[in-house]
Amino acid sequence: MKIVFYLHLHQPWRLARFRYLDLGTGKPYFDIDRNLDIFRRIAANCYRPTLDRLEVMLRQDPRFRVSFSITGTFLEQAALAAPDVIERIQRLVETGRVALLSETYYHSLAFLLPPPELEEEVALHQQRMEDLFHVRPHVLRMTELVYDDDLARFAAREGFSGMLAEGWEGPLRGRSPNHVYSSVARGVSVVLRNYRLSDDVGFRFSARGWTEYPLTAEKYALWLSRSPGDVVGLFLDFETFGEHHPASTGILEFLSALPSAVAREPNLEWATVEDAVRVPAAGPFVVPEPMSWADENRDLGAWLGNDMQRSAFDAAKKAGTFARSSHDPEILSDWRKLLTSDHFYYMYVSGKGADADVHRYFSSYSNPYDAYANYMNALNDLRRRSLAKARASH
Amino acid sequence: MRFAPSGAGTGLVSLKRLTILMAGWEYPPFHTGGLGVHCYEISRELARLGHRVVFLTPFPGPFADAPGVEFRTLSECLPPGTPIPGAYTPAEIYGPRFLDVVNQYNDWIAHLTDVEDADVVHVHDWFGTVGCRALARRLGIPLVMSVHSTEYDRTLGHPYAPILERERIGIRAADRIIAVSRQLGEQLITLYDAPPPRVRVVYNAVRPVAPELDDGRLRDVVLYLGRLTRMKGPDTFLRAAAVVAPAFPEIRFAVAGEGPEYEHLIALAASLGIGDRVLFFGKVTEAERAALLRDAAVFVLPSVVEPFGIAALEAMAAGVPTIVSKTSGVGEVVRSAFQVDFWDVDEFASRISELLEYPHLSREMGDQARHEATEAGWAERARQTVDVYREAIRARALRR
Repeated sequence: MKIVFYLHLHQPWRLARFRYLDLGTGKPYFDIDRNLDIFRRIAANCYRPTLDRLEVMLRQDPRFRVSFSITGTFLEQAALAAPDVIERIQRLVETGRVALLSETYYHSLAFLLPPPELEEEVALHQQRMEDLFHVRPHVLRMTELVYDDDLARFAAREGFSGMLAEGWEGPLRGRSPNHVYSSVARGVSVVLRNYRLSDDVGFRFSARGWTEYPLTAEKYALWLSRSPGDVVGLFLDFETFGEHHPASTGILEFLSALPSAVAREPNLEWATVEDAVRVPAAGPFVVPEPMSWADENRDLGAWLGNDMQRSAFDAAKKAGTFARSSHDPEILSDWRKLLTSDHFYYMYVSGKGADADVHRYFSSYSNPYDAYANYMNALNDLRRRSLAKARASH
Repeated sequence: MRFAPSGAGTGLVSLKRLTILMAGWEYPPFHTGGLGVHCYEISRELARLGHRVVFLTPFPGPFADAPGVEFRTLSECLPPGTPIPGAYTPAEIYGPRFLDVVNQYNDWIAHLTDVEDADVVHVHDWFGTVGCRALARRLGIPLVMSVHSTEYDRTLGHPYAPILERERIGIRAADRIIAVSRQLGEQLITLYDAPPPRVRVVYNAVRPVAPELDDGRLRDVVLYLGRLTRMKGPDTFLRAAAVVAPAFPEIRFAVAGEGPEYEHLIALAASLGIGDRVLFFGKVTEAERAALLRDAAVFVLPSVVEPFGIAALEAMAAGVPTIVSKTSGVGEVVRSAFQVDFWDVDEFASRISELLEYPHLSREMGDQARHEATEAGWAERARQTVDVYREAIRARALRR
């Protein structure tokens, strides 16, 4: 059994309060200081300690492997707030046992926008990976692990050999998520997230009411070794370690103990996403409608589920036409920062239940209406700027 | 939070039907503000839960229909035609006569007969505290005091000594003190030395409003509805209106309510250049109020001080997107309203503009507001109040 341990690193550019009265005043949309403060805090709680532990794990156990996806907006903030975090990642990548993934630079829903946005964002991200880490990823993951057949075809056109997706019952039709499957596009394999085993760490690790609490590395390795199949995908937010579960929960010790616990189970071995896509496919994986890793429904409802979210996304789509025709790199980059999926996530109107709690935890606003109004104001302003720019250049 | 929310972990409770002597001064239709409405709704629900409520008021009746609520009225003991001031009429307007009526009310309560079977005395605000303290002592039953607002707040920090003293008497004597919001509860602890273990919070509620059929009717009014006093911040409303008005020429601004600031506000609207855009309605009837809420695109509660702010909850129940000041207690129970610093005119103006500009925003917010405002109704608040009564009764039994 190959363990594909993959961690996602992302931070959005959160908006400042951009009032209706701020339209046309030239006020910046993004609160740089606040974003960097948040980054520094998470760097102290999570990025530094966890990367340091991963470095020790790689040094002590030559069989250990891990994969990262790192968004462009994360790297922009890291460069300003904590450049040592980038240096730490570089050191890990240099071991040759850490694979990097491709994705949209802005962590956007660019796949729902007219071309060439998706191509350009993935290319921007590829370039950044090459510049900073001197590697060219062969596996693509889409924002929020969104996957469908069209994206597999896109991956094939762009020369990728694999994609990641949620191991969700619908498309599996009774089959195990613990295999590599072939997508509808030739040459593109799909590695799936085992959401039960992933969520045991991601969500349940620190839940005292959980029957398996406390989860030890030994117990977890045993579950992995007894899981049927040949590849198990443990896909998690990087912030699982030290931020979602604070260090006081013992999550970092759990992480450090994993390699030796895995070593005691003879049928287990570590693999990167690039190792995994070379495993022969167990069958076809067909996903006509987009599927994500979020919420109980695994659809796009977390970002485009209500009228506000859909209207905001439509408005962003339209603003893109103006932004592009302005030929102003600053306007284009502001527009793309507004495409980051987190902005739409904040506009989710939560009811009750587990999803609602998760949404509230991740929101940067006190309610979805603040998020929507603020976003629409910024977008309105961007459209004005684009038009003014276009008029000026004629 | 330094004190417990009401209704938490009441454990084994006796299911005995309680007899409650409630002193609330106002009762509809004799009411000038939220106090009377609160007394009506809570006593009605208490009766519906099977308890016996005897309401003690100076007004002569007849009162709004509330099956099971009995009334004892001071007016029987007063010379016919004695004017009785409303709860929110500034005391100085009435001068010493005002306190005369209050003193008579308290004497009457202190010596009330045929009430020996009562289980608890419940006084609302300061009016009947002296009499209720005496009555509870005489009968050997607990005193519960509800505070809806304080004299400090009503006078923006210049309390009228006789009223302040009566508030202090009630808060000192009460076995349990009910505040209509956490922020008010904190204020009772810091300004009135209320012992934190005795303070409970029971929020106000509103009745559900049947949703209007979408008849394509234009909602084109930005609404202020409340008394026109400085503590309610109506001038902030007008200043924000003046910022919003030029960009939204089809929108009207409405000020409904009466109060000492009335003339000043009319002059202010004129000097802000929006005299022709603001309609002053004065005191409105229930029907007019409902009509205004039907036409409202936005409801604004800009209060400097607002222990609760039930008008905002009523607007939300009617599906009107609502903006409240952060100093309003109602903000503690709702998430789907915009919350703004009371002094931030530009932010009020921005929020109003956003609700006028983005139809998806106002629709989602209005729908959610309607749902959220009526989630916990008066019946729930009455149950929480009964929990407080039972606590007070138990605490007294333990002290014996």
